[in-house]
Amino acid sequence: MEDTFHLALFHEDQLDQVAEAIAKLKKLGLRDKDMSVISGVPFSEKILGRPMAWTRVPYIALAGAGVGFLVALALNVGTVMQYPIRVGGMPYYPIPTSIVVTFELTMLGLLISTFLGVFIETISPSFGPKGYHPKITDGHIGILFDCPEKMDEKVHEALKALGAELIHRSEVPRS
Amino acid sequence: MAADAQSLTDMQIARYEEEEDPRQHLMFDPRPREEMNRMVLEAMQTTTPRYWITVGILGLLVALLLFGAWGNMILNGIGLAGVRPPIYWGIFIVTFVFWIGISHAGTFVSAILRVFKAEFRRPFTRAAELMTTFGLAAGALYPLIHLGRVWVFYWMMPYPNARWLWPNFRSALVWDFLAITTYLLSSTIYLYLPLIPDLAMARDRTEGWRHYFYMVLSLGWRGTEAEWLRLRKAIGIFAFAIIPVMFSVHTIVSWDFAATQVAGWSSTIFGPYFIVGAILSGVSAVITILFVLRSTMKNMKYFIRPEHFNALGKLVLVFSMSWAYFFFNEYLLHWYGGYKVVRDLLMHHATGPAAWIWYTMLICNVAIPWLTLWNKKIRSNPTAMFVITLLINVGMFAERYTIIPLTLGYQRFPFNWGQYTPRLTEISIVLGTFCLFIFLYMVVSRLIPLVPVWEVQEGQHAHTLRKVGKSEVPSVTELD
Amino acid sequence: MANTENTGKWGMVIDTDRCTGCMACVTACAMENNIPWTGEEEAGYGRGMHWIRVQRLWHGEYPEVKPEFTPTMCQQCGHAPCEPVCPVFATVHSEAEQINLQVYNRCVGTRYCGNNCPYTARTFNFFDHEFPTPMDFYLNPDVTVRRRGVMEKCTFCVQRIHKGQEKARAEGRPVKDGEIVPACAQACPADAIVFGDMSDSESQVSHIARSERRYQLLPELGTEPRVTYLKGGGYYGG
Repeated sequence: MEDTFHLALFHEDQLDQVAEAIAKLKKLGLRDKDMSVISGVPFSEKILGRPMAWTRVPYIALAGAGVGFLVALALNVGTVMQYPIRVGGMPYYPIPTSIVVTFELTMLGLLISTFLGVFIETISPSFGPKGYHPKITDGHIGILFDCPEKMDEKVHEALKALGAELIHRSEVPRS
Repeated sequence: MAADAQSLTDMQIARYEEEEDPRQHLMFDPRPREEMNRMVLEAMQTTTPRYWITVGILGLLVALLLFGAWGNMILNGIGLAGVRPPIYWGIFIVTFVFWIGISHAGTFVSAILRVFKAEFRRPFTRAAELMTTFGLAAGALYPLIHLGRVWVFYWMMPYPNARWLWPNFRSALVWDFLAITTYLLSSTIYLYLPLIPDLAMARDRTEGWRHYFYMVLSLGWRGTEAEWLRLRKAIGIFAFAIIPVMFSVHTIVSWDFAATQVAGWSSTIFGPYFIVGAILSGVSAVITILFVLRSTMKNMKYFIRPEHFNALGKLVLVFSMSWAYFFFNEYLLHWYGGYKVVRDLLMHHATGPAAWIWYTMLICNVAIPWLTLWNKKIRSNPTAMFVITLLINVGMFAERYTIIPLTLGYQRFPFNWGQYTPRLTEISIVLGTFCLFIFLYMVVSRLIPLVPVWEVQEGQHAHTLRKVGKSEVPSVTELD
Repeated sequence: MANTENTGKWGMVIDTDRCTGCMACVTACAMENNIPWTGEEEAGYGRGMHWIRVQRLWHGEYPEVKPEFTPTMCQQCGHAPCEPVCPVFATVHSEAEQINLQVYNRCVGTRYCGNNCPYTARTFNFFDHEFPTPMDFYLNPDVTVRRRGVMEKCTFCVQRIHKGQEKARAEGRPVKDGEIVPACAQACPADAIVFGDMSDSESQVSHIARSERRYQLLPELGTEPRVTYLKGGGYYGG
């Protein structure tokens, strides 16, 4: 791929410098979408002064719960309609027992679709700077960014001053 | 008086010094991520000849004791088991309930403690979740094993068929099927989600087949903000949603009994009673396993420390007390109710030919934890905790044994009273599933990082020692 | 022609004062319903298969003891505890005969119904049992044989009920009282077992069931058993 990016690596305890570096890059004219932070432990956007990332996982989960509920309804009512059988003097559509089935299948739908949500979002193409370095899982925090070539030197200087280890775009390994 | 005052302060100083150094806590003893990664991977990749011999023997035992005996039973009939009328359920169902109980540990430790932000959970959430998954895998075999005609087990699943005949959704066994399926799937996913960053870590540091294995499983994880957000949202949903599922699973298992008319089973308190028992046996099993991991796997002594045994020991004590409360509640009201059948039943439990099982239950579930676990020194001693928790699980097995075959044997018609003795096939299959559990656990402990490194590091970031006056006080910063 | 439909609420009355404990009913039931012999060892362990059993309990202090016999079989409950617990609808309520059916083909052998039967009336095929020659000559072609892993129980000889109903319909008349007799009632030398249509208030079984000596087994469970027992209360002493 042609669009590899610069990667600035910071040590795990240089969190303040990371936040500062992001601010500095912005001052130099980079937009938020030209940057991406990768890290080995989660940091909230507030800590780093980044815009909120977004995810649809909760909606997918809710939709899944809805599907589970409908399946439960179909099993509780639909299957009895197909072949009504009298057992133990119970009514054909006893509400208390359907609650159990409904609960289980709704939760099953919710939980499976949560996973499917994560899975689908993970394998869908994402926009923004790509690149990776194995040091990330060693606890380093990386800022991936894209900048016009003529700014290279200025940016590198600014980041180096903060203690970043810089990897030029031509050398950024991809995962 | 002055001397008294002097000695008092001496005592206080001595006690103060006995107070532990915060560095005993994992969270206040941080190491660089690089080193923790290396330690976890080393633990994962180190296999001694003793390990392979054990795994080999266990695999053989699984094949022989579990699948051999089960296959033989399928060919010849369920009569090879010792069940007999009126005791139609025997040690298979006892072990089934036992495994489902064990499987509550993972969720309890990692979901409930996560929701309540109990920080000591961090290093062993995965070890506990793994127990959930394999406990369920071992337990879920039993509804199949105990069937008279296992070859038509799929009739219990809802699938469209030419006869238009569906399962009976009014039967507690179908609820059981649904609940266990839900729990098995969701607990496996719950094991997998927080594993992804650690799989990525392993991917970056391994070669050969392991590299490809982790590359596929880690789904191209890079650690971007969006990935972390997604993961944490999903874990958040799971941590909250899996708790009611966990409660429902053991409640429904208890309804297998409570929904009937069997004297001694028909009890409205069975749901919470079973849940408390499940958590008691589950948390105990976590301690047992942590001891084994700590003493057999490399570098685990850094991650799993006496503080964790101490913290889990408190939970065990609390749940032992709750169990005793529910047990007494059940016992007293059955006794007080004066229904002759149930009163006779209680007499039989306490004085019948199998009374030793009933006393084992009380000694192991109540006497032993109450006498030992109030003491912090005992709680912080891994070996002592190993023995105590093993005994608690013996007690919980005895509880289920009392509830199932010993209760079924003394029902309303004395003419039909009976005694049940487990036979060789049953005992072999039960031992076989124990081997299966240990086998799976041992194999997977060398395949996935058993300590969630990123969670440990996240915790260590959040913990600091704050100076308050003259002392340094541990404090936690809420980063999320 | 109103009464030729296959309806009726079949019921049974057992006079325990008449029962001599001779076990003829147990034998007749086994012959009629192809109930296998499980052998000495199995029966000794408590796995003998009987759809009907005679419960013998002793009364009084030795040497003044008296036996009391209670022939017990499936009570064909109106609200049967065994039915709703079956996950696969292998035991269901028959709307036509008002009895409790066991569908052998559908049974997967969870044995849940066996646990939940307060009368412990159900028996289970723990193994495939052979009928030794010449006993296999007596196999009743009207009744299926059951294989291992299947639950079974008293059916009120439903095959005889159907045969009787078919015969009556063919002759264009209602089923006569006393025309349909299950094997146990037929074999009983003391006439302690009476069977018939409970919905017909003039039938013999209805008459006897209204006796002041009537009682039911475990009525407190609300299972609505179709079997009524008679005991004591004046006619025969107790």
